[in-house]
Amino acid sequence: MDTLTHILNGFAVCLQPINLWYTFLGVFLGTIVGVLPGIGPSATIALLIPVTFGMNPTSALIMMAGVFYGTKYGGSTTAILIRTPGEAASVMTTLDGYEMARKGRAGAALAVSAIGSFIAGTLGVVALTIFALPLASMALKFGPAEYFTLMLFAMTAVASLTGKSPAKGLLATLLGLMIATIGIDLQSGQPRYTMGIAEFQDGVGFVVVVVGMFAVSEVLRGLVDIQRGTGAKLLPISGKLWLTREEWKRSVGPIWRGGVIGFIIGVLPGAGGTIASILSYTTEKRLSKYPEEFGKGAIEGVAGPEAANNADTAGALVPLLTLGVPGGGSTAVLLGAFIMYGIQPGPLLFQNRPDLVWGLVDSMYIGNIMLLILNLPLIGLFVKLLLIPIGILYPLIVSIAAIGAYGINGSVLDLYLILLFGVLGYIFDKVDIPVAPLVLSLVLGGMMEQSFRQAMTISGANPKIFFNSTITITLVIMSVISIAVPFVIPRIKAMLKSDEA
Amino acid sequence: MMADRIILGVTLVLAALYFWATQQIPSLEIGDPLGPKAFPRLLGIGLLLTAALLAVEMWKARHEKPAPAEPGSMVHYLVVGGVAVWTWLYFYSFEPLGFIIATVLYLLGLTGYFNRGKWIANVSTAILFPVFTYLMFTKGLGVSLARGVLPF
Repeated sequence: MDTLTHILNGFAVCLQPINLWYTFLGVFLGTIVGVLPGIGPSATIALLIPVTFGMNPTSALIMMAGVFYGTKYGGSTTAILIRTPGEAASVMTTLDGYEMARKGRAGAALAVSAIGSFIAGTLGVVALTIFALPLASMALKFGPAEYFTLMLFAMTAVASLTGKSPAKGLLATLLGLMIATIGIDLQSGQPRYTMGIAEFQDGVGFVVVVVGMFAVSEVLRGLVDIQRGTGAKLLPISGKLWLTREEWKRSVGPIWRGGVIGFIIGVLPGAGGTIASILSYTTEKRLSKYPEEFGKGAIEGVAGPEAANNADTAGALVPLLTLGVPGGGSTAVLLGAFIMYGIQPGPLLFQNRPDLVWGLVDSMYIGNIMLLILNLPLIGLFVKLLLIPIGILYPLIVSIAAIGAYGINGSVLDLYLILLFGVLGYIFDKVDIPVAPLVLSLVLGGMMEQSFRQAMTISGANPKIFFNSTITITLVIMSVISIAVPFVIPRIKAMLKSDEA
Repeated sequence: MMADRIILGVTLVLAALYFWATQQIPSLEIGDPLGPKAFPRLLGIGLLLTAALLAVEMWKARHEKPAPAEPGSMVHYLVVGGVAVWTWLYFYSFEPLGFIIATVLYLLGLTGYFNRGKWIANVSTAILFPVFTYLMFTKGLGVSLARGVLPF
């Protein structure tokens, strides 16, 4: 019953007024960031790190997690009203959500995505609560070799699943790992790849990389779109912000199924919210009695994917919290935030800081309730944000990025770096090199090298240690499979395409 | 695809540079059988394998027709280049001029171009935003921002 006490104590932590306030601030910011296209959760969390530096870590992490799952709620609004995903994972919602809005059912589309997000989001947190401890106690047995192979699996899965080309995903992964080797080597004290620049002795901060690649590059993309004049039109919120009995009946199934799909995909490394919502969409289309309505305003096509991408966020926190190894870009940034506070997520955290872990998990129940209120009765206020001209919004994002980057060390070099990584991120996008694998491997790089060297020290430099236990062997095999998967996926995609035709 | 050839070339050059830079790390192997060079060497090998995979992908896609160039692709080079240079100037003047003045100038320039004609909105944002955020971050949150030539 010890566990139950910890879970209940977590509520005592997150119900403290200060933490309630930060939960609210997090989900409020998350909704704003979700509604606004152009800036996503990764850049926002990275920008919050310098700002929250003096804060109590529990409150700061509660807020950052709020941003992480809050964006998924806001993202659907933009998808429905201007057919632009406010957040990458809402891309499927543009298909039927926008069509519903064109038919005067924007209110119902917004309502079903808020309600679906709430049900699936809460379901996800329940599953996170249930599965966290067993996984964490299993991970207690992990040695350096297990950790090394686990990180290898996380990286190969993300590399092969996030982009169009697994080779380019691997390239991004290796670039991240190489950037992570810049700085003083912890074991020997030798400076590596610092190019004689004193600031590089502490390494290249992941905040500048994330802010550059996610925020600055997005601004460059947005400004190009303005120049081309490819702006979208904002539809008004039409119809009542509620569902008819018929619509509700059609949405219940997709919400539950989407929640389950989203959570499972979230736990697995690599796939993430976008793939979860695509899977949910295709599942619903297949199960539906009216598949011909999909793409023309079927409510199932909004309910399922929105449920899936919200359950995905709770699922994605499972490996982050229990193993300390994130399975995607945004959770990698969250791990970076933990590390900045000197907190290492993983099995030991459940033993040493149950107040923090369960305070954080329990705050998500409350955060989801807050999000339901923000995104249903109050959504009209957030939609007003879309009236801000993007020609003003994007330049402001650069200034905010500058504050965040300069605020860490007060160094102008960090400013030049966000510009450099911003331009690099823009080019990467143009040539289809995914950015998430780079961020993940940058955050994990140091840990990965340490566990590699510890394992090799234990074994007397014999690489056989990576094939000594069932866990390591399984993980190595899974890494190999994850690289092989992309060669199978094009066939599956071809099958789906012939289905749609 | 031209872009893919360039990526392959850059990957190979990068691998060579990284191997060379790894050689330059002085090593004193005490109590650590691997030293600071072993893991980077693995990464270098990984980069070479990636280059090989890239080549395989290009070979498999050799019959695919390249996607037609996006219309106005020159425009995006100009926009990205222009914004990058303007942002570089912003960062260059960040400390000498201070956050407020540098940001006002930066925002005036960009909003004036990308939100053309809406002078009242542009000028008021360009002035109010930096002043407000400066006060909020330096006085409220204790994050230091460059003061520059202004006395506060």
